[in-house]
Amino acid sequence: MNIEVEILLVEDSMNDAELTIRALKKNNLANKLIHLEDGQEALDFIFAEGNYSERKIENIPKVILLDLKMPKINGIQVLQKIKSDERTKTIPVIVLTSSKEDPDIQECYRLGVNSYVVKPVQFDKFLDAVSQLGLYWMLINQQPK
Amino acid sequence: MNLKPKILIVDDKPENLKALRKVLKDLDIVLVEAISGNDALKATLRNDFVLALLDIQMPGMDGYELAGILREEEKTAHLPFIFISAVYTDNLNVFKGYENGAFSFITKPFQPEVLINKVKFFVDKHQQDVALFELNEELKNANKELDAFTYSVSHDLRAPLRSINGYAQMLDEDYGPKLDIEGKRIIKTICDNAINMGMLIDELLGFSQLGRKEVQLRKINMNELVESVFIDMDKSFTHKAEIKIGKLHEVEADFGLLRQVMFNLISNALKYSSKKEQPIIEVFSEEKNGDIVFSLKDNGAGFDMKYYDKLFGVFQRLHKQKEFEGVGVGLAIVERIISKHGGKVWAEGKVNEGAQFNFSLTIN
Repeated sequence: MNIEVEILLVEDSMNDAELTIRALKKNNLANKLIHLEDGQEALDFIFAEGNYSERKIENIPKVILLDLKMPKINGIQVLQKIKSDERTKTIPVIVLTSSKEDPDIQECYRLGVNSYVVKPVQFDKFLDAVSQLGLYWMLINQQPK
Repeated sequence: MNLKPKILIVDDKPENLKALRKVLKDLDIVLVEAISGNDALKATLRNDFVLALLDIQMPGMDGYELAGILREEEKTAHLPFIFISAVYTDNLNVFKGYENGAFSFITKPFQPEVLINKVKFFVDKHQQDVALFELNEELKNANKELDAFTYSVSHDLRAPLRSINGYAQMLDEDYGPKLDIEGKRIIKTICDNAINMGMLIDELLGFSQLGRKEVQLRKINMNELVESVFIDMDKSFTHKAEIKIGKLHEVEADFGLLRQVMFNLISNALKYSSKKEQPIIEVFSEEKNGDIVFSLKDNGAGFDMKYYDKLFGVFQRLHKQKEFEGVGVGLAIVERIISKHGGKVWAEGKVNEGAQFNFSLTIN
């Protein structure tokens, strides 16, 4: 259970997840990706609890891609937990949202989101967006050691 | 708000109060009595009145003085009065603050019907005001709900569209080599339509947002604004058009919103004149009846005045997609912004000869 995870994708829509993973794959960024489908599972994974209690919490993902609209525990709540815990608050979190008018975006910034990406309807734009953020956060951005 | 309207009656003589009560007994109202100015002021603290009947000759504080004080209090500043006096006066300026609300005189001795009618008038007016206020509140709420609905529809509709478009594209990428031209055409049609619907949703979202936006007035140099819009325009449109901008009036308006108006009108003018040999776009303004009227004239495709009532509707188009692209929200946005500013929008057009769009803004 201590495989290295680079990208944690938290997305309840299987379709959006498939599109996102495909875009990352095109840039060879999806080798160490784990996809979780709801907020609770994401928190368990990040904080090494429940099904993931074998995991070491120090093995933090390089970046978390987080959908906002999820049943039960939503993206905002996940973000809040991550950003208010010393052990996890330096993990870059990118919020994925359906529209730039999402009223939650303000709240995300308040909670300390690192970036947010509007999932475009156009597939090629979606590919571009995901590739760019993948490349930036995986390769360019220097995280604190 | 189904409480009976309350009316204050002020007179230092109990028999007069009794007489008033008797005259007004058939009206569906509540009478609150006061026997002095001070008494009346106390009563206004505890009650919300729709009208006050004031005796003028009272010891201590007389009716005019009382009226003046009531006009100074926020709660009663617009309370209408009927003065009951033994002497007739046609001097309207008899008490302080008279200009803030309605009032009327009645001279003693009076016909009961005259007083009843006057009281009825003010009570009816009050009830109409209340009804109007409630209707207005309902309308505001309905608008808010509509905005929220539009927002969530627009938001949630994007997700399936993303899938339709994404998977069609995936099909093309992964299985394209196995498809013939017709198969590829079908995939492209799916993608095009998904993208088009995405644009519709975005426009709709933008339009619904306008409803929530507050107008922030500031002085705007319209020449600068219009020039900046032309700079932002697609150069493929502007390069061949002859653009004439007159000396434009300054206005007070919301900068962002007004820029959006100009952007939409100018891009329309450029779009619909783009097929002309020599497109000409004119922007000018003039003062008319206390308003400033801005106009945009082009010599483009124009429109048939027969369909004028559709011109400013949401998702209404007077041209085929093949001729001129668009989703039909631009002019609806223009209309909404200008009416938010209290102005009007109108247009004239002639097929293949051009169109002129005008909007007015009040000077102050």
